Amino acid sequence: MKIAVVGKGGSGKTTTSAVLARTFARAGASTLALDCDSNPNLGISLGLGEAATEHLVAVRDAVDAGEQEHASSPDDLVERFGADAPDGVRLSVVTAIQNPQPGCP
Amino acid sequence: MRVAFVGKGGAGKSSLAGTFVRLLAGTGERVLALDSDPMPGLAFSLGVAQSDAGLPDDAVEAYDDEDGRTRYRLRAGLSGTDAVEQYAVRTAEGAYFLQLGKANGPTWSNTRQHFGFQRVLDDLPGDGWSIVGDLPGGTRQPFLTWGRYAQTFLVVVEPTAASLLTGRRLARLAQGAGAPRVLAVANKVREPGDVEQVAARSGLQVIGSVPFDPAQGEADRHGHALLDHDPHAVTVTAVRSLIDALRREKEPA
Repeated sequence: MKIAVVGKGGSGKTTTSAVLARTFARAGASTLALDCDSNPNLGISLGLGEAATEHLVAVRDAVDAGEQEHASSPDDLVERFGADAPDGVRLSVVTAIQNPQPGCP
Repeated sequence: MRVAFVGKGGAGKSSLAGTFVRLLAGTGERVLALDSDPMPGLAFSLGVAQSDAGLPDDAVEAYDDEDGRTRYRLRAGLSGTDAVEQYAVRTAEGAYFLQLGKANGPTWSNTRQHFGFQRVLDDLPGDGWSIVGDLPGGTRQPFLTWGRYAQTFLVVVEPTAASLLTGRRLARLAQGAGAPRVLAVANKVREPGDVEQVAARSGLQVIGSVPFDPAQGEADRHGHALLDHDPHAVTVTAVRSLIDALRREKEPA
């Protein structure tokens, strides 16, 4: 099952995503939570804590700074840009674009 | 004054910005309100009937740059100020409202409006105008791009972990973007310690504080501007205080 949660800012996307992810994981499913927000906060709602959530952004920033390579494969993304969250959910931050040009949604 | 509202999605940027614009215009200032969020919300809080107040397609022309890439500019003879005069929608208080322009059709190709809007930002009306921007939610570089006209950035922060985290990220981004003046507005404040919490955990000076306001939720539910729904709402008083506080602070050159 692959689910994408979308909607207006503040409507509850991140909270809904986190509760879904942990509910599936508790039911025994291997669950990958992808934070595709340019301002990623899913770690907080998953219960990962602020420090670990911030750390994932720092890893992503290192790519922008040229200190880290982009992920070479989906597995590499999950490994290097991810963290283990409660209930066995694996969280990965897909993007955190700091300097998008106009036209970048 | 030239201010831009930034912050996490749902923190209350558009709601506060719209009320701010109308109150500011009500004091006799000439105000231009700029909505640079591709999902526009400012129209609701401004109380204007149209939600789409963008540049028409024929205000923007395509051209090829030296490398043969397609670029966009305002059509020949149309200055940024002209664009504001011709295409902005007026609020009841006489403020001008211009929006980035919604995507037309299913393909979300609003590149033309996007770049046209950027060209207006390069050539905004100057003396005698106050400019208030409502920026997209999150941390998409507001300082160098979307809000580069602003002298003061107002980060709307709720006393929640995610909102505070966004505030900290914005404060950090500002340091790498020429350190513009960045101040926090605490929103949806419920408890006495909330404002101190916002100051301590965002690392920003708090210049305004807005209580949690059921009237705002009611207005949103009905699709009304807060100022039309309840002109005596606590938020309105708080935004008036915010304007006064900003006027007391000297803007950086």
